[in-house]
Amino acid sequence: MTTFFQLIVVGISTGSVFAIVGMSLVLVYRATGIVNFAQGVFAVLAGLLTYSLGKHLPLPLAAVLATLVTAFVATLVALVAVGIRGRTTHLASLIITVGIAIFAEAVLLAAFGEVPRSYAAVSDRAWDIGGVLVLPQYAVLAVVALVAAIGLTLFLRHTIVGQALVASADSPRAAELIGLNLRSVALIAFAVAGALTAIGGVLLAPAMPVAYSSGLSITINGFAAAVFGGLASIRLALLGGYALGVVEQLVVGYIDPQYNLIIALVVMLVLIGWRSRGELAV
Amino acid sequence: MSSDAVVQVLAGRRRRIGAVRLVALVVATALACWLPFQLERGDIGLYDRMGLYALVAIGLTLLMGFAGQVSLGQGGFFLIGAYTSGLLTMGLDADTRLVDPEAGVDPLLAVAVAPLVSAAIAVVIGIPLMRLRGHYLAFATLAFALIAWSLLYAQDRFTGGQYGVTVTKRLAVGGHEITGATHAAVVWGLVGLALLLSTNLVASRAGRALQAIAANEPAAAASGINVARYKLQLFVFAAALAGLAGGLFTFYAQFLGPEDFGIIVSLLFVVMVSIGGLGSVYGAVVGAVTIVYVEHKLRELGTHETLLGWDLPPTAPSILSLGVFGLLLILIMLFFPHGLLPGIAGAMSGIRRRLSRRPTP
Repeated sequence: MTTFFQLIVVGISTGSVFAIVGMSLVLVYRATGIVNFAQGVFAVLAGLLTYSLGKHLPLPLAAVLATLVTAFVATLVALVAVGIRGRTTHLASLIITVGIAIFAEAVLLAAFGEVPRSYAAVSDRAWDIGGVLVLPQYAVLAVVALVAAIGLTLFLRHTIVGQALVASADSPRAAELIGLNLRSVALIAFAVAGALTAIGGVLLAPAMPVAYSSGLSITINGFAAAVFGGLASIRLALLGGYALGVVEQLVVGYIDPQYNLIIALVVMLVLIGWRSRGELAV
Repeated sequence: MSSDAVVQVLAGRRRRIGAVRLVALVVATALACWLPFQLERGDIGLYDRMGLYALVAIGLTLLMGFAGQVSLGQGGFFLIGAYTSGLLTMGLDADTRLVDPEAGVDPLLAVAVAPLVSAAIAVVIGIPLMRLRGHYLAFATLAFALIAWSLLYAQDRFTGGQYGVTVTKRLAVGGHEITGATHAAVVWGLVGLALLLSTNLVASRAGRALQAIAANEPAAAASGINVARYKLQLFVFAAALAGLAGGLFTFYAQFLGPEDFGIIVSLLFVVMVSIGGLGSVYGAVVGAVTIVYVEHKLRELGTHETLLGWDLPPTAPSILSLGVFGLLLILIMLFFPHGLLPGIAGAMSGIRRRLSRRPTP
């Protein structure tokens, strides 16, 4: 039974990262209609930057700087991904972000090398709760995901900027009529989502080393979490992330560690299939 | 002239153009099949790979051009085709997992089964997904390709894991071994056949329905076209082509290892299609030839110790190809969303029109 709870605890912490990336994908999708295939790259960039800057600076400062730089990079990505007005369809945008993800791997590989990197966690102590080992890093990850979910929900519902994001996705033309600049909306959405994913990446690296090529699996796990809520719900993306993390850890613990990604992907495929009953493409 | 006569003239012209095109295609295919026998030994492999990738790209371009759906997992279907035919010839026993070369099926049969298995998987994935927006199929196919790839490691008793497996049996028809230049000729012959099938498909009733879907999906659905079914058929056709290419790849390499089937391969197919133009089957062939050639050249370039005075790290080949292909995909999709070749053609005709316009007095 201890093993079981231990797996749950680890699952919720890794699932928090999926949830954070999933919520970022939902935010961008709701504001722009674009599914950003390069979202996971932001987590990798932030993690590797923190590692590199951390060699010269105090780690917290390095983490903050890395997050800011990543948010800035995310706005650059937004400029490219949104593309040219009236010419770039959402599917073209998706393919552009695929191109960005490939290109980013080259840049990350050239800048940081191929060795997976990790650094000190928030604390090197561990709590023992009835035989279950809880690292402070796990707790921080879970809390950050939860706070991010609450914050994003409040942001979208109760702030002018948040409502502008939602409005421009619901009806781009109407949003433009009331004077919203769709490009600015996209930039803001990518920047906020980029910063959020960056925080996830900064916190992930001490628990699981990140390498230049980790972006793909982070993106796809995040997408799986987001699909849980049909790419529309922040709340369900959070739950989806937790659930996915726990399922993966249970597979690691009880079946075979090699199957964790496979099971996660199968779960996602089934979820998408299940979703397809409700939503129709137009 | 009565309208009937006009229609007849037009139909006659279309038929004649069709015949011209058919002859051109047959001649081009014959040339493509003759070429490998003239090539140097080292170039035959490269040429063969171009043909194999062209088969996959032809299927993908139809899917992207007509169904408006993108598959990020064609490499998965390619993988399934390759391992299906490879493992079948090895005579694996599913229970004891022993390799028994005597029990393996004939390579020819194995190659024929490969596209069927890929197509069957495409049906299972495609049925729920074809009614959804494009990004769902993109991620689902990517997930499928990742699952297939991860299974290579998880089921390493079958596949040899990261070390791969050697395929000992050779493809043969009536005692004649199909290797080297002959293999390349067979592959390019099949490319010709796939082109013929695809152009016929585009011109048929199904093709007109597909064009209607590509032009305006809600309108096509409103006029009674079963959009989801046509899209599914395209998806399955594309998967079958990728499976066939994979099955042939097995007897091109005689070795199966994970490196040839990574996610980047799936993404390269998308780059090939974006070069040739979404929906253009001839463009897909051009794209495949271009990408295989450029990748080969980049690999050569990356293995140099220095480049333009810079010391190259051992990871340089990966950096170069990821960087070039990523950038290429971004730029093409940004400026020529229908593809590089059609974009350039459009720009050329625009310039010509501007030049031929009479100067105003």
